[in-house]
Amino acid sequence: MEHSRRQFGRFAAFWFLLPCLAGLILFSIIPVFYAFWISFTDWDGLKPIDPRAGVPGFVGLDNYAAILAGEEFWRVLRNTLFFIAMYLPLILAASISAAMLLNRPYRGVAVYRVLFYIPVLTSWVAGALIFKSILSPEYGGVNDILRIFGIPGPGWLYDAKWAMPGIVLASIWKDMGFFALIFLGGLQGIDTDCYEAAKIDGAGVWQRFWHITLPLLSPITFFVIVICLIFSFQLFPQVMIMTDGGPIGATQVMVERIYRYAFSYYKMGYASAFSFILFAIIFVFTYLQLKLQKKWVHYDA
Amino acid sequence: MKGIERYWKMLAVCLLALAMALTACSRGGQSSDGSPSPSSSPSPGAAQPAESSPAQPETVTVKFTNFSASGDNEKVLQQMKEEFERQNPHIKVDIETLPFNDYFTQMQTRVASGTAPDAYELNYENFIAYAKKGVLLDLTPLFGNFDTSALNKNALEAFRADGKQYGLPASFSNVVLFYNKDLFDQAGIDYPTSSWTWADVNAAAEKIRALGKDIFGIYQPVQFWEFYKTVRQNGGGLMNDDMTAFTVDRPENVETLQHLVDRILKTNVMPTEAQMAGMGDWDLFKSGRLGMLVTGIWAFPDFASNITFNWDIEVEPGNKQKATHFFSNGLVINKDSKVAEAAFEWVKFMSASREAAMIRVEAGWELPAVTYEDVQQKYLQVTPPDNKKAVFESLDYLVTPPVVEQNAEMTDIINLHLQAAAMGAKSPADALRDAQAELEKRINL
Amino acid sequence: MLKRYAGPVLFHAAATVIAVMVLIPFFWMISTSLKSKGALTAVPIQWIPEEISFEGYRKVFEVFPFARTILNSAIIAVLTVSIRLTAASMAAYAFAKIRFRGRETLFALILATMMIPQQATFIPLFLVMKELDLVNTFTGVVAPSIFNAFAIFMLRQHMRTISDAYIDAAVMDGAGHRTIFIRLMVPLSAPILATLAVIAFMDAWNDYLWPLVMLTEPKKMTLPLALSKLSGQYATDYNTLMAGSLISIVPILIVFLAAQKHFRAGLQVGGLKG
Repeated sequence: MEHSRRQFGRFAAFWFLLPCLAGLILFSIIPVFYAFWISFTDWDGLKPIDPRAGVPGFVGLDNYAAILAGEEFWRVLRNTLFFIAMYLPLILAASISAAMLLNRPYRGVAVYRVLFYIPVLTSWVAGALIFKSILSPEYGGVNDILRIFGIPGPGWLYDAKWAMPGIVLASIWKDMGFFALIFLGGLQGIDTDCYEAAKIDGAGVWQRFWHITLPLLSPITFFVIVICLIFSFQLFPQVMIMTDGGPIGATQVMVERIYRYAFSYYKMGYASAFSFILFAIIFVFTYLQLKLQKKWVHYDA
Repeated sequence: MKGIERYWKMLAVCLLALAMALTACSRGGQSSDGSPSPSSSPSPGAAQPAESSPAQPETVTVKFTNFSASGDNEKVLQQMKEEFERQNPHIKVDIETLPFNDYFTQMQTRVASGTAPDAYELNYENFIAYAKKGVLLDLTPLFGNFDTSALNKNALEAFRADGKQYGLPASFSNVVLFYNKDLFDQAGIDYPTSSWTWADVNAAAEKIRALGKDIFGIYQPVQFWEFYKTVRQNGGGLMNDDMTAFTVDRPENVETLQHLVDRILKTNVMPTEAQMAGMGDWDLFKSGRLGMLVTGIWAFPDFASNITFNWDIEVEPGNKQKATHFFSNGLVINKDSKVAEAAFEWVKFMSASREAAMIRVEAGWELPAVTYEDVQQKYLQVTPPDNKKAVFESLDYLVTPPVVEQNAEMTDIINLHLQAAAMGAKSPADALRDAQAELEKRINL
Repeated sequence: MLKRYAGPVLFHAAATVIAVMVLIPFFWMISTSLKSKGALTAVPIQWIPEEISFEGYRKVFEVFPFARTILNSAIIAVLTVSIRLTAASMAAYAFAKIRFRGRETLFALILATMMIPQQATFIPLFLVMKELDLVNTFTGVVAPSIFNAFAIFMLRQHMRTISDAYIDAAVMDGAGHRTIFIRLMVPLSAPILATLAVIAFMDAWNDYLWPLVMLTEPKKMTLPLALSKLSGQYATDYNTLMAGSLISIVPILIVFLAAQKHFRAGLQVGGLKG
């Protein structure tokens, strides 16, 4: 259909893109290229630099080589992937379920919509502190509930095995309302005629979910997966406040290390190189998804 | 249609702002080429022509940024500034008080971009990196007739690097043994004395621990800042004397760590992290469930106003010898400051003057690092704790931490392995051997 | 009879379970904010404070010029929302409905910018601001929000699902891109725009590190900076912290409730389809 409109306003795209492009160049491309340059130096991130004079201490690919040769990078990558493997399926399941619930035509649904969204509006500082206390092994509410079912609760944030699941739990709590609302927007866009037709054809609840809802929701699902992956590879504030990377380094993740090297160890070159390695990893993951989307994402049904 | 017009108007405004920003870009490029000073006022709108003109010495403005007044002490700092400006009518101090949280991230950004204030505050942990990376001014040439004997020798020493004095101590806090008198009474044991050793502490802690499931004997965090001192109490040390090599896995150190870990895992007189359940050590003490606590004297104001039971302090017990440690915040001057002399006058006033020290003591804002008798007397008068003189007695046994350019990195490596031992994931000997290996690999001395 | 009620009952049961799980932490926050300092450390934990204390709130209101910081934060938040939404919806329209050379490449580039951790570009971005002479200005604080990859991505995804039939009909009526964008795409994207407005407002309202570095004058201080000054180097008063956090949530909640209306307005527009 687009071809029919090709004739008018050839430069329209440019004008529509102008504000965003200006911002892209000034506040993203320039800083990113600057950081890229820094990644080839041993700059400490402290000695004053003049952007026009450049950054002293060119070391070539040394930072990249040191990171990839070290044991730390792989351990931290493993921790990050561990988080994603738990977080991604759970957040999808939780937010789609919540959205389906919020899409029911019952009274009081608007109230729930507001309630579900409250954690999203809470800052991570408050959220993480709350979870620290709720996950407390001795006095926390979660283990209290587990005790009712006769399950001895784990040490959560104080146990190297359970600290990451604890962070996943807090992240689900914080993010569910946000993604539920996005899914809700998608659900509301679905024509109710589709359901009526399917109902008449005798499709059950599950069949309708699998064959109508999910396919029609696929552009949104695709968006959520891409965004979730990009953001969870960069998981940061909850880790800093809840565990600070501990216990015994069990929750050290990529951006936690980058922040540490940049602003605590004064190794900005190393931190920048770390960032671009992370960038490459996320890029590959996202690229694969963009390629694979044709197989399952349906636009403009 | 009205909506559309409004919309495009808004868009036009946005684009105009952007265009202005772009012109500012080229303008900024030209003008800053001409002016070599990175510390000039960053705000173009508020250009003050009089500010840095050498012809008018009476209008010098010193920009000063700090974190330690945030919380409750901004008024006290204001008081110091007023007193200083009264004594030095030609210097104006422009104070910016920032939260401690992320203070060092923002300071690093400002220093790196050449927009650092003339004088600023650094804690000891970050001071060394700043000093060694050459962004601070050596203060010695500015000393003139400044008498450094007014300052505590150890605190002054702490802000020296490579033989140069890069900072002056602003405040100063050492670490002592706090104890809950009521719990000691309940357990029927004598209060700690200055001659106590580790063995006395452990014996008392076990008796107090026996008082109840939720009552603990002692809390002494197993981390770098405590550990570098406790190893000294046992005749060990994390580095050799001239600080050219790490000696983390020495037998004396292993013995020390074993002692600390046994308290947690074997006798459990100290709670595990799971038993602490996210509660802070101060909170545990304040809730009346902790017999002894090793922590800094900055706890005084909080404890004095929030504790209902009887408590006191004593010099920290040693083992083979006594050793105590302290924390200090230092005042430094930006190497590129154009008003370094005036900045030094302010730093000197805040750090070493009797007036500033008195204001500090009266407000209960930590301990000034000065040696004035009357200031110390004034400090002793404020109780609780009753045995406040233990604060000064502790100064006789001060040890200083290892001075390493990669300070934060070293601290994190040691902490990681200490935590592994404290949680029982590794034996103390293994933990320290691994720490030693990693330090040798990653820290350049 | 039973069947008629089964639906609503199941719905409310499920929704209430989720709501309770979501709200327990929030409840804890309110309860902490109303505790006295002493009650903070009580064992066992007091879910409902035995004694209600407004100590935390008093401190929040006493320590800093409250009205001033709220105003500063509001200015920054409103500017951020308008700039980000305007620029992002325009760009999203171009990506979704205008065909031009290099469209996919440019879009991939925009997506890619999200993949660089901010920690790496923090100092370089500040250097750009210094070059633009925008340090210590509100303009400098909000300027970067003119480009927000997330908003562009989200709006573009949504606009792609809007049927081309609408646009073709508008073209028949002689409408240009400008009219299509404003009369058609913006109203049809209202629910997403409302969601993004809430997020943008929240981002700006809660942002801490960037304004901390950018603004050097006390009178330009924003709310999170002021709140964070309540905690010192050694001690954090959780009652004050939670009181401050709660107060700072209120404006966000108001914005969210206001945006809710537009969710419904968007629904009605969608309903025109049938």
